[in-house]
Amino acid sequence: MPDDIDIRSSQTRMEVAYGSGDGDENMVAIVAKKEASLGTIFDQSYKPWDGELGPRWMRNYSIYRHHVYGLFTSKGHRYYHPFVRLTILVIFLASLTPIPMLFLSSLLPGQDGDILSKMWGINRFNLWGQILGYFPRNLCMWPLLTALVVGGMISDDRRNGTSAIYFSRPINRFDYTAMKFLSVSVILGFVILFSYFAYYTSAIVFRGEGWAYLIDTLPLFIGGMISGIILIITYTSIGLALSSISQSRFFAAIGFLSVIYGTKIIALLIDLQFDTSIMYILSPYDCLAHLGQFLLGLELNYSHPLAFSIVSLISFNIISMGILISRISSMEVTRE
Amino acid sequence: MSDLNKKAPSILLEGVSKWYGEVIGINDISLAIEGGVTGILGSNGAGKSTLFKLLMGRLKPSQGTIRLFGIDPWKSTAPYRRIGYVSESERMYDWMTSLDFISTLARLHGMSREEAIKRSKHVLDFVGLEDVHHKKIGKYSKGMRQRVKIAHALVHDPDLIILDEPLHGCDPIARTSIMNVVRELGSQGKTVLISSHILEEIERITEQIVILHNGKLLAIGNLHAIRDLLDQHPHRILIKCENPRDLAKLFITSGPIYGVRFPDVGQLEIQTNNLSAAHDIIPSTLVESGQKITSIENPDDNLDSLIGYLLGGINDG
Repeated sequence: MPDDIDIRSSQTRMEVAYGSGDGDENMVAIVAKKEASLGTIFDQSYKPWDGELGPRWMRNYSIYRHHVYGLFTSKGHRYYHPFVRLTILVIFLASLTPIPMLFLSSLLPGQDGDILSKMWGINRFNLWGQILGYFPRNLCMWPLLTALVVGGMISDDRRNGTSAIYFSRPINRFDYTAMKFLSVSVILGFVILFSYFAYYTSAIVFRGEGWAYLIDTLPLFIGGMISGIILIITYTSIGLALSSISQSRFFAAIGFLSVIYGTKIIALLIDLQFDTSIMYILSPYDCLAHLGQFLLGLELNYSHPLAFSIVSLISFNIISMGILISRISSMEVTRE
Repeated sequence: MSDLNKKAPSILLEGVSKWYGEVIGINDISLAIEGGVTGILGSNGAGKSTLFKLLMGRLKPSQGTIRLFGIDPWKSTAPYRRIGYVSESERMYDWMTSLDFISTLARLHGMSREEAIKRSKHVLDFVGLEDVHHKKIGKYSKGMRQRVKIAHALVHDPDLIILDEPLHGCDPIARTSIMNVVRELGSQGKTVLISSHILEEIERITEQIVILHNGKLLAIGNLHAIRDLLDQHPHRILIKCENPRDLAKLFITSGPIYGVRFPDVGQLEIQTNNLSAAHDIIPSTLVESGQKITSIENPDDNLDSLIGYLLGGINDG
């Protein structure tokens, strides 16, 4: 070995390769000129592609559609287990149950129809209940729906190794996070908000209400809609944060249900034992319910100030988004 | 795409290090690669995958700078429009057909549906999977899965292709097919970076290699040139013949041979400090012996030996 070659340091080896610094400034590496001879089994000929790669929105839309269309068909889209699809369908249909009752009330003459209409028709409490009522919606439906949709949203990518595939393409971290968030929000929104819209619209149509009624009830409707949007954002944030720290959709889903139900149960037990509602600020559902009562002008049934619930809600979202962003920006979500 | 520097090398690393806590993944590597096929060789834990993860922006370097087409991959995704990456991970969307899978990924580059399907069919044809592109990936063999991975990396016609252990676990036919694919891409002027821990695999594809060991760049350049540098180190040549002792007598008097051993019945191991000179005299000596030779092997012709010699060089130095 020549004396001037020292393979102790990497840099010296580089100089050996490039000829002691000659040509380094051109940053061109030496490439083998000879090709090894090898028998050919397949006739492989590669044709370059001369098409134009699409803009950013097309790339982002492909992430979005992959997740959302997967609910309807897994051909070329995300796979949702048939049980998950069935459960989402059942939740969606269950969320529409007031509509047949409204239809029935419009068919029944006189007092019977009025009773049904009072029970199911539009009022502050029913609009609040359509989004934020505890039973059955926030006990059996929305948390379960969120857990099923959001559980595998990022954890599945880690398990399938596809988050690394996403990031080896011109998809930046913000777009990836935003599209995941949008996909979950749209699915939840479709069930929660669509059923809310359908309920409100059918109440007006079935009873043949006029513009005056519409103008009267519209502020209440908007209050409920804002509550629904905040609920979707909060549940999506918490769910995605849990999904980003997990490699299993089961852990993320159970974790989400634990957060929603666990905090509610603890706060309820403390309320029953010590007659104080302050611990409800730990429960995302109760913070939302508290805010929703305010937005719809209902009597508040929590003894602590509304500001506490609002601050708590903002904190839930900030903490969840912080976890989600830090997991994605550090590329932890690509570790399998 | 306008922000990509056309004149910059495909890959440029300057003093790049990556630490995992107190463990060193990559240690002070400087490297520039442009065009052709380059093999990244190293034993397990040498830092190959860390290097690739750094290149793919999945890890942030602890020190130094990385540029792909002149752009920092940690900060911008722009270079990935020109890069195809095959990870070592086996996992894919098993419920999809290979055509669906690749066209789905093609759309992540912003291709229209029709364009994505057309291009996916071409790359599947290129890797020899055109007949099975309607089968679900979950039913594919290991070699077929590797070819699907290569196809998805090629779907957007990248200029730089990074392949992390693409031959790992493949049967001989799949290996040959993948090697052909890589050589074809290299011959088209694309920059291909392929990692392996098996020297013979890389040797069949390219002579341009980078050797990593314990996170450090141990050698870079033409494989034969590196071997030539090591000619003065002891090499062993194993000859299987009828009468090793008679053959040994002929070799021991030859200049470049300084020792012989008989490791097993019918085997002669000759030791030399000058491999080229030894190769010059071996054929004539064997002919002169008149013996039936069943095989000639070079047990030192593998990566571990090469690394051993390079490290030996360090120790000797």
